[in-house]
This record gives sequence, structure tokens and C-alpha cells, in this order.
Amino acid sequence: MSDFFTTAILVATAASGVRLAVPLLFASLGETFGQRSGVLNLGVDGIMLLGAFGGYYAVLQTGSVWLGLLIGIVVGMLLGLVSALISVTLRAEQGISGIGIYLFGLGMSDLLFQKLVGTPLPITKFPKLNFPVLSDIPVIGELLFQHSVVVYLAFLAVPVSMYIINKTTFGMNIRAVGENPEAADSLGVSVNRIRYATVIIGGTLAGVAGAALAIDLGIFQQNLTNAQGFIAIALVYFGAWRPVGVMLGSLLYGFVNAIVLQLKTLAIIPPDLSDFAAMAPAIITILALVVVARRFKAPAALTKPYSRGE
Amino acid sequence: MKKNRLTWLIVVLALVLVAAACSDDSGTTTTAGDSDTTTTAGDTPTTTTAGDAETTTTAASAEPFKIAIVAPSAQNDLAFTQSIVDAVNVIKDEMGNVEVQITDNTFIVEDAASAIRAYAVDGVDLVIAHGSQYGGSLQEIAPDFPDTAFAWGTAADTFGLSNVFAYEAASDEGGYVMGAMAAALSESNTIGIVGPVEVGDAKLYVDGFKAGAEAQNPDANVLVNYTGSFSDVALASEAAQAFAANGADVMTGTAQMVVGAVTVASDVNIIWFGTQANQTSLAPDIVVASQVYHWEVVLRDIIAKIEAGTPGGEQFKIDLANGGEVIEYNDAFALPADVKQLGEDTIAGIIDGSIKTGS
Amino acid sequence: MLEMRAITKRFPGVLANDRVDFDLRAGEVHTLLGENGAGKSTLMKILYGLYQPDEGEILLNGSPVEIHSPTDAIDLNVGMIHQHFMMVESLTVAENVALGLPSNRGFRTDLDAVSERITELGTRYGLKIDPSATVWQLSVGQKQRVEIIKALFRDANLLILDEPTAVLTPQEVDQLFKTLRQMTEDGRGLIFISHKLHEVLALSDRITVLRQGRITGQVPVEGATRESLARMMVGREVKLAPDKPAVEPGRPRLRIESLTVLGDRGDEAVRSLNLEVRAGEILSIAGVSGNGQREMAETIGGLRQPTSGAIFIDDTDVAGKTPAEIRAAGLSYVPEGRMKNGCIGAFTVSENLLLVDHQKAPYVKWGLFDFGVIKEHSAQLVKQYAVKTPTLDTTARSLSGGNIQKLILAREISGTPKVLVASQPTRGVDIGAAEYIHKRLVEQRTEDTAILVISEDLDEVFALADRIAVIYEGQIMGMVDPATTSREEIGLMMAGVHPETTSDRP
Repeated sequence: MSDFFTTAILVATAASGVRLAVPLLFASLGETFGQRSGVLNLGVDGIMLLGAFGGYYAVLQTGSVWLGLLIGIVVGMLLGLVSALISVTLRAEQGISGIGIYLFGLGMSDLLFQKLVGTPLPITKFPKLNFPVLSDIPVIGELLFQHSVVVYLAFLAVPVSMYIINKTTFGMNIRAVGENPEAADSLGVSVNRIRYATVIIGGTLAGVAGAALAIDLGIFQQNLTNAQGFIAIALVYFGAWRPVGVMLGSLLYGFVNAIVLQLKTLAIIPPDLSDFAAMAPAIITILALVVVARRFKAPAALTKPYSRGE
Repeated sequence: MKKNRLTWLIVVLALVLVAAACSDDSGTTTTAGDSDTTTTAGDTPTTTTAGDAETTTTAASAEPFKIAIVAPSAQNDLAFTQSIVDAVNVIKDEMGNVEVQITDNTFIVEDAASAIRAYAVDGVDLVIAHGSQYGGSLQEIAPDFPDTAFAWGTAADTFGLSNVFAYEAASDEGGYVMGAMAAALSESNTIGIVGPVEVGDAKLYVDGFKAGAEAQNPDANVLVNYTGSFSDVALASEAAQAFAANGADVMTGTAQMVVGAVTVASDVNIIWFGTQANQTSLAPDIVVASQVYHWEVVLRDIIAKIEAGTPGGEQFKIDLANGGEVIEYNDAFALPADVKQLGEDTIAGIIDGSIKTGS
Repeated sequence: MLEMRAITKRFPGVLANDRVDFDLRAGEVHTLLGENGAGKSTLMKILYGLYQPDEGEILLNGSPVEIHSPTDAIDLNVGMIHQHFMMVESLTVAENVALGLPSNRGFRTDLDAVSERITELGTRYGLKIDPSATVWQLSVGQKQRVEIIKALFRDANLLILDEPTAVLTPQEVDQLFKTLRQMTEDGRGLIFISHKLHEVLALSDRITVLRQGRITGQVPVEGATRESLARMMVGREVKLAPDKPAVEPGRPRLRIESLTVLGDRGDEAVRSLNLEVRAGEILSIAGVSGNGQREMAETIGGLRQPTSGAIFIDDTDVAGKTPAEIRAAGLSYVPEGRMKNGCIGAFTVSENLLLVDHQKAPYVKWGLFDFGVIKEHSAQLVKQYAVKTPTLDTTARSLSGGNIQKLILAREISGTPKVLVASQPTRGVDIGAAEYIHKRLVEQRTEDTAILVISEDLDEVFALADRIAVIYEGQIMGMVDPATTSREEIGLMMAGVHPETTSDRP
């Protein structure tokens, strides 16, 4: 156990946890927007996968990680638009239509990968930022100032999301539409327009999450996300539909994963227990979810399609 | 009603989380249908040109020999599935009049089972179920088609059925060879091995690699991390980061999610040993060598048996001795001559029995 | 200021508005009166842009307008206060008011300025409210104020009030009417929708009555009476209060002792409540919705478990027993949610009539239904209770609310129960059916049944009750005699003010 409590290992583990949290954070922040407005999008993982492939392929072709991120954004926006069309305009059962998006993303990303790439090829990764002075501070420098640029983007998105949701008219409309769409509609707030906006934001961030994952790993493979999109949805509940909560949830999940990995590496968790240990992040998150979900109320109109005059 | 819905949702999400964590052999996490790209190798010539000339009269006029593969991951995964696809293609080139059909990405066993049955119904001569998780399905299906030969890998059990062959790889042997070379190359004496789940082919390889490294250098610190998933690339990547943080300067890993670990190794310039397929293309600078499976060695025997009228009941194994396992070196990597010699000596020792891998 | 001309609106199978003319002058209250389904709400939703008319035109201040959405209506200074509050419970008062309006600070909210104006409007119209309070913390009356402020904030010159008093105590109604009159004095026009006749008479300048989508009368308030309005609504003479034969109440048949029941949120909805209902009397429970009436009724009916206390039917304690056991002890129960607990919508009329007795002779022989007997029994009940249904095999859900209620009542009374509990027996039921239901309830007194009627409608309470118990926060505030009490006195008790004297106790 003493091997674990060395500065170098602790710092490396923390950094690992942060990296693991980033795709979840992007995706769950995006999902938060949709859910606050009353739309559950279960297709996050599918959008992430296509965003991941799009980003990967763009980098593979051009070598530009920024173009890759941009493609992730565009793919996410388009799929967000499709999701909104299905759940808002067509008023489909949200628990099912999202699974359709997921399966589409899973199948399509793999098909495109097989047709366009085939054998996995490594790509350029995001550059790690290097802040003068700050990055060189021992411990803190490694912990806070040596990450790749998407890490900072992800954590920057938290206060931005908070500001949008709590301090802008748009955010107020989102909250209103998610709680009582009839009331919002009666005051001239277009329920559909708000929901389109939030679902597209959600799709965009899911696309970013996927692209960030692929470009940070420098590789693509079938089912690259490994259901992280579903975990992100769970984290929205864990985070009680608040950006800070979602961030804490993502970090918790990332850290537990990183700690378990490190403990296995150091053989503190023996190999024959490793399969059980692999469940730890899920179990801890579920427990937290059960505790938190009892305490906070979901947006009242969540999963309920809206149509006027009912 | 509202409350009920929320409860259900939480239950479903919880299940998804558990599924994500427990993703075992099947590798994927949903219960809904997966994205099977059923590829029928239509571009494989059924009336061949070159093949006909070499094999003269017998094959030219005869029905083609039909082989079907059902495998869990993508056929070009640079790992497990690709190894059998490559082998069958070799057989096809050798025999000429062969028709190959592939159903890959059958992470879901039920999907694989229906594909296996469909091929049997179609009159395929040899159905290869390339995944230890398909055993149960095969046990049910094979007795219904006594005239069809089935091959199940990687496994050692034929269920006592006369039309099922079993095949496996002595992956511990190649692992042992590369483990010895890894220990010789390591300056920090710290080596990292990432695996999926501690079973089957992966366990054999990991144990062999560890034994080889420790035989070469008893002081070697061999770190082993089974991530618990065949498909979680991000976790494999972080496992490699953890090895790096612990000072590892040589790594290896098995199963298809290791691509994530290879790119990390490449970033921090840690050398890498591959297995199941030649992984040089992933990171030409750091890959030293890969253990490559040549299943065609056992496939030749299996097909010979079938043509001789024995559609199953035997077990086969590829190893260094029969040429089914080959250590392929990366020519671009400047491997010191003495280390390469160590590798060759170890191979010879395993073949002549003077070296035991411990498995 | 407003003219709606020949408005026609069709829904599949229904003509909701049939060439309806309606107008409103500045500074007046024009009431729209009618039964449920008469077309009042449809007409107002057309005016507010929630529905589009099939024919007809709308003129505002002399010029024709097209109102396609609430936004259009708001732009034309038309406001609407909906029957169900249109508010986001998790937002603050200020946020609810600001919702949908452009902010002075661009995309950022400007709640301080909004709060200031809310306070200003509140002072002027007697609508005191804390702008920073979250809506779910507010009382019903306060929420009503927020709704009005929302409209005033948007400079609504024309305000539609859709049954705004449904959930208010009499005192809150008085306060509301004061505010509304002040608004008309400012030159605003109000359209008031209600079916509470005494309120209509108290507030309106003019009254328009709708029946089955058509206008059946338009009268000034002067000279109108409850009876004349009811006649226009129903199309025939209506007795608003049933004739009550004198019945000497007998021994207590339903006794509730120190009953405590938890509500849905785990709070104590009913707190150590004591009550007695005697044979041959109707005891009415009056109170504002949400003061424990529903929980109490559900507990008597066995649908909810009490935490402590006893409920005696004659001498059997039924507290905590199953509904079947309690029915066997002599209870009949007409629940509040008639589609939820009262009947099975997908079942036929005759199946619903049989629900309670379906395991007993003579309906079951050798374990099988005897359809001949069942049919005869159902036909008799349907006739006796004037249930309007095409056939006995029509599903219950395709009947109107009033007929479903009659159906349930028929089933519940037909067994001559010892105790009858009826929750909101005429809510959402048209006047004609309500008249009939009241008549049957009053008649049942002569059968020695102890009847407990729970109602939020004071008119109904006064019409039926031999005694009135007022419930507030899960306790009985006081017991009064309807012959000697006033609405005001009951209103005070409904608001939680203890009666000064208990001399009215019979």
C-alpha cells in the first residue's frame, strides 16, 4: 500500500482520473442542457462514437487536431439536430428513440471505420499545454498545468454552462420548459425552439466528447467509447442536473477508475480480484446515484414530449 | 407514474453501468442488437484463375471448399479476429478452390449462434467459431448438422462431438520469448503488461511473458494490469500511463483494446511487444517484435481430416515448434544483436523442450 | 375593445364553438358561463392563440387581428390566467414573471429590475408578494397573485380569467375581486369564466351563457338570478338545492377517532382527527383542497394506511383493513378520481356496475358469471340512475363525466350501505347530473345510511349538509349548522381561523 502513497504515484493517478473524466464531462454537460429542458437523449454514446470517428478521420487525413475537433462539433450538431427532430418534432418515446440513435452511431462509426480506414492507425494527439513557470511547480504543476488543451476546455465549460443555465434568459427558458412547458408556452416561450437548442447543444458536446476521446487516445476502434455515453447520462442524474454536480460525478468516476487501475498495477489489488475491482467505479457511482436521486427532483417535464392544447 | 418512470430510468441506467463494467468476452455493453457487418467475401474468386492451373484437374471441376468464420471483433482488428481471417486467406491461396464467408463483430453470442447455424444450413464445409464464448452455442448446434465440420477456438474441448475440432494457441511460448527479450532490454527493470480479463489466451500470454522476463532477470519488476474489459481503449491507455508512472520502460499487452496502450507507449517512447498480430504499423518506432498466430498450420490439418472423412473430434494447438506461432521482428527497430540472439535461443530451447514456460 | 364574430371551431366529432359572437368593452367584467364542454375554454383559447378558429374573425380596438400563438396575444396586450396555474414551480416569482420577455441586459437576465416593478404593481393593486420567493413555497392565493402580476407586467388590457376562484378560500376570493375591480377602474377589460353562480353575480357587468357550443343567452347582471342563469346553462328548470325531507339522525354509524395519516410526501396530512357521522344525516367536510380531505377519504376506503387511530363502521374497527374487508363491513365509497379509482375505463357499463359484487351470488354460479342475471341487474340500475349510455356494453370511458359519476353512484348506493363516503361527488359534472346526484344522496338518508360528503364547492356543501365540518391542515376546525352559519364564517375556518364561538354546534 505504501507504494501507492508516494507523491509521484498520487499525482499520476490524479492526472489519470482527470483525463478519464474529460469525455464524460463534455457529454454529461451536454446532456444536462437537454434534460433541464425536458428531453432525455439516450443516444449520447452513438453521437460520441460518430464524433470520435469523425474527429479521428479528420486528424488522420489532415494531421490537424483542431480540424478534428471541429469535425467532432459538426457531427455532434448534425446528430443533435436529428435527435431533436425525433424527440421534439416527432415526439417519439425518448427512452426508445435514443437507443436508435445509439445503435445508428455504433454501427455507422464502425462501418465508416472499416470502409475508410480498416486497420487502426495512430494519429496526432492534442498538444499538452505548457504554462511558463506554472507547469514547473512541483506536484501542482503536474496536477494542474500539464494537461492537454481539451482538459481545460472541458472544465471551462462547467462555469460557462452554469452561467448560461442560471444567469441568462435562455437558461431561464430552459429551466421553465423543463419544468412546465405549458406555462412557458403560455408566456410566449417557444418550447420546441428551446428544446431544439438544448438537444443540439447536447449533441455538439457529445460530438466534442467523442472527438476529444479519440484524439486524446490517438486511435479509433470499434465501440471506442465503451458505453461512456450511458455513464454520462447516469452522471447527469448523479449531478442532480447541475453542472457542478455533473463535474463532481465525472471526476468521481474518473478518479475511482484511475485509483483502481493504479492499485491493480501495484498488485495491491491482486489479479484474481481485478474483475471485481473493475466494477468498483460503476458500483460507487450507482450508490451515489441512488443517494442523490432521492434527494433532488428531476425536471418535472423530463421525457415528456410537449404539444400544445392538451 | 412520474415517479415510476424515474425509478425505472435509474434502474436501467444502473444496469448499463454494471454492464459497462462487466463487459467480458462479449466486449460490448448493450443488450440491444449490435452492428454486425456481415461481410460475404464476394471478391474472393470462386472460379479461380491461378489456383486452377496449379492444382490441376481435381479442384477445377469440383465444388469449392466452403469455409465460414464467425468472430467477435472486427476482421482487421490487428488482434484476435484478424489472426483467423489472415489464416483462412492463406489457406484459400494455397488450395485455390475455396469460398470464404465471414461474420465478424458478433460480440453478442446469440448473434454468433444464429450465424453459425445459418452457415451450417447453407452447406458450408467448415464453420469456424473463433471465440471461446461460442462453445455453448456450438455444443447445441453441431449435433443438428452431423455432416458439417465445426472448429472452435480458442479452446481445448470438443465436447466429445465427432464433428467439432478444437484449436488453441500456446501463446505462453511466444510470450515467454518476448518476456525474456523485454527483460534484457529494460534498463529500469520495470515491465508493464496490460490484459483484458484473466482467462484463456490472454492469461496464457501474460503468464508466459512474466515467466520469461523473470527467468531472464530475477530482479525484474513485472507489473500486470487486467483492466476488466476487452474493448475499453481509454482504460488500456490509462493502464499504460500508470505503468509509465511506475517507471516501466517496456510494455506489452493482449486483446484488441491494447491499441490505446500502444499509442501511449509511443508518446513516451516506451518499447512495445505485440501479440496476436503484427502491431508494427501502430507504432513503427517502438514495436520490437510481435507474436503472430498462423492458424493455417492447424487449419491445414483440420481440412485434411475433413477431406479424409473425419469431420471432428480432435484438438489442435499452434506453437513455436509447429510454426503456428512466429515471432516477427520490426526491422525498423534497432534491436541489439545479443538480444535478438537471446530470442532465437529461447525459441530453440522451447522447441527442444529444454525451456519450460511454466504453463 | 374586443369583438369576436361568428367564431366556429370544430374538433373531430364535436362542434366546440358554433358561430359564437362575443364582445368586451373597456372597464367591464364580461362573464362567460357554461357547463364543462360548453365551449368556453375553446373560445378563450382561440382568443389567446392556443387554437385557431375554423371560421370567424376577431377584432381588437376595431381592427381585425390574427392570433396564432400566445406571443401574438401578449403582443396585442391580451393576457390569460389559466385555470391551472401556468407557473414553473422551481423558479422564483421574478423569474416566472420575466419568462418569455426580452431582458434589458441582452441575453443576461435582469431580475432586479423585474422585482422592482413587481413590488410596484403589487402595491398598486393589493397584490403583495416577495419577488425572490420560489413559487413552490407559495400558497395557492399567492400563486394566483403572481398570475395576475404576470399579466399586468405584460400590460394586459384584456385579461381572461379561467375559473380563477376554483382553489381559493372565500376571503381570498373577496381579495381577488377587489383587485379585479381596481383593474376595471383603470380601463382594463376582463373576461371571467366560472360556473360558481354567486360569484358570477357578484363580479360581472354582463353575462354570456354558452351551451353545447352555442350562445343561449346574454344578459346584464341586473335582474339575473342563479336560477335564471342555471336555466340558460342547462336548458330547463333546475333545482339548485335538493328538497330535503326531514330525517331524524340516529346513532353514529361512522366514528373516526384520533386518526393520523401520512400524505404522499411523508408529512402528516391528517392529524389526530375525530369525527362522527350519524345514521340518516349528511355530514359535509368543507375545506380548501390539500388540507387532508383526500387522505382521510382514502384511509376510510382502505386505499391508504393510517399511522394511528381508529375508524369504526357501526362497531367494527376497519382502520388499516383492505378495501374488500371495509366494504364487507358496510362501506360504500365514491372516490375523488372517478377514472382513477372509481371505475375501469376499458370495462363496459355493466362490468363496472358489477365490480364490487363480482364474486357473489346471484351473479356467479358454479364459479361462472350468470350473464342473464347480470344484464338484468345492470339494465335496472342504468334506468334507475338515469345513466345515459348507448348500450350496457359501452366502455365506461366513452361516457361523459356526469354519467360516469352516476354509474359509480348507482353501484355504490345499490347495496344499501351503512356508511357512504363521497369525495367531490359533482366535480366536473354538469348541473343537470349534479342535480340528480344531490337528489340521490339526500334520498339515501332515509335508508339510515350515514353519509360523508367531501367537497370544495361551498354551494354543494350548503345544499347537502345537515352538519358542516371544516377541515384545515388535517384537523377539524369546527362543526357548524348550515342553517345558522354564513359563508364568511366557514371561509375564516377554511383559512385556519378558529371560530370565536362554538354556539353553532348543533
